[in-house]
Amino acid sequence: MAISLSESLYIGISDILTRKLRSLITILGIVLGVMCIMVVLAIISGMNASTMEWMNERGGVNKIQIWRNWDYDFRQGGSATLSLSELNQLRQQIPEAVAINPSVAINDAKLQYRGFSYRGAVLGVFPDMQIVENWYPQQGRFVSEIDLRENSNVIVLGSSVARDLFKGQNPMGRRIMVQGQILEVIGIMDSKNWENPGGGPWSGNMLEYMNQQCFVPLSTMMHKLKAGSEISSLQVTAKNPEDALNLQNKINMLLLRIKNGRAVFRVSSAQEMMQQMKQNSLIFTTIFIMIGAISLFVGGIVIMNIMLASIKERTREIGVRLAIGAHRMDIFVQFMVQTVLITALGGILGIILGYLILDLVSGYLQMPMLAEPRMILVALLVSVGVGLIFGITPAIKASNLDPVVALREE
Amino acid sequence: MEKYSIMEIIKTNALIKDYSLGKVKVRALSGIELSIDSGEFVAIMGPSGSGKSTLMHIIGCLDSPTEGEYYLDGDLVSELPKKALADIRNRKIGFVFQSFNLLPHLNILKNVELPLMYSGISTRQRRDKARYILDSVGLSDRLKHKPNELSGGQRQRVAIARAIVNDPFILLADEPTGNLDTQAGGDILEIFAQLHKAGHTVIMVTHDPKVAERADRIIQIQDGLIANGHLA
Repeated sequence: MAISLSESLYIGISDILTRKLRSLITILGIVLGVMCIMVVLAIISGMNASTMEWMNERGGVNKIQIWRNWDYDFRQGGSATLSLSELNQLRQQIPEAVAINPSVAINDAKLQYRGFSYRGAVLGVFPDMQIVENWYPQQGRFVSEIDLRENSNVIVLGSSVARDLFKGQNPMGRRIMVQGQILEVIGIMDSKNWENPGGGPWSGNMLEYMNQQCFVPLSTMMHKLKAGSEISSLQVTAKNPEDALNLQNKINMLLLRIKNGRAVFRVSSAQEMMQQMKQNSLIFTTIFIMIGAISLFVGGIVIMNIMLASIKERTREIGVRLAIGAHRMDIFVQFMVQTVLITALGGILGIILGYLILDLVSGYLQMPMLAEPRMILVALLVSVGVGLIFGITPAIKASNLDPVVALREE
Repeated sequence: MEKYSIMEIIKTNALIKDYSLGKVKVRALSGIELSIDSGEFVAIMGPSGSGKSTLMHIIGCLDSPTEGEYYLDGDLVSELPKKALADIRNRKIGFVFQSFNLLPHLNILKNVELPLMYSGISTRQRRDKARYILDSVGLSDRLKHKPNELSGGQRQRVAIARAIVNDPFILLADEPTGNLDTQAGGDILEIFAQLHKAGHTVIMVTHDPKVAERADRIIQIQDGLIANGHLA
């Protein structure tokens, strides 16, 4: 009959309390290892969360973008623009696309209202831009299909433009002059705001440039504001993230065909970017998880050594326990439980310390870090695992002691 | 009670124990024939190196003989696997050591509870029993003390309490007064005498003739053999 586990737990806890300082030193490695792994996991999930947030802010994970391929040598011929007929050719072949938004931009347009003027980008777009960018007017309406068909002289203002050009007056229904054309303000876009969580040189609203854009129907742009121009960039929304990658490849192929094999466009997708980001963070993750693992391994070795030393020191006690009727199993369990308790305690301290550090660092770096409850379980399991692995050798050694020899030990 | 109806509680036949010290084989016991009856108070004497400690370890089931038979309470324990010996040590034998061998970080109540814990007795029952036994050796006011807060004589009384708490068949004492002054040693011997009177079988290893005198019978060991047979 071996003694019960609760009995062993009791012995283990009182052993640890009797040797407080030693127990504390013993667990340092585990504490640091668990802390390290936990902080890294929290940083990574925080980074992933802010990446997702950024992606959503920029039109979501289903977005595909087509623009000039800067790697292409344009001396070989071709231009990174699409005519309306080329666009239609492409459009007909990608019926699976949820939304398509071709655009032509005047990057430094002059907007005038009475005595005031404003310099900013004006884009000729499709109504689909709202879907592609997941961005809608806060006031009035956006460019419509009718506007597109009729080359209407209408304009939708970015929130900063509306503020700066009209100095507090309501711009709705007013007429402004853009590139010699009189356009009626039919709407004002929602204000875009996204702060980089890392702070530093990238602090501030990273999407402010969008608030400084204005939108007109693509046809108005191509026929009136910038006559004779061609489409220079294209955005497409796929049905779902899986489709996005397929659609990306398909568009790439179609464009190559349309452009006679010239890779004048670069087709990229949010999915691709996310995979790239994950790839990048994988290196980071691997390194830190390895540091954590090494720290846990060293911590385990330290614990094993201290347990071995402790058993050597307590040989006589083990002899006494054996003499009064302890089974080898009792001794084995006693030391095993003690090791696991110590490492579990280390795990708990590591989690607490990890939380404190996350709190401190995320406040200081303004970096979002997510400590999920799941991590506590993982950290606890890992530290118990370390105890089980490194506790076996000392526990076997203790339980294999010969009572006669053990009792003779001074 | 059943255990007193069997007269012969310990019986050995041609007990031999060999040790190997490196390549040299040393014979510690070379054919011990021993019989001890239930309720006896026996002293085992002999010079150091005579084999009395080895005999004591075998009687106490801490060790097994190389050859020969050892019957404890009618059971052939010399043939039992080491695993089974733990239960025998727990239930049938009570040890008292020269250096007390109390666990220093446990209070004396916990020390006395230990054998009961390894018997699987509930916390409450063992606390009650340990209290009762400690009371009987006059230490009821020291339950929460650690061993190093007690005198040598008191520590040995705790050790005796621990040895008898599980109602063993035999009480084995190895030089129980060796680390004590005359006064404390006398007290301890008095406790053994009382335990004997109460019906306990007491086997005491000693090299001190004055101590051995207190026993009913003295067994002299020399060169791994019983030298004197059955002197009173």
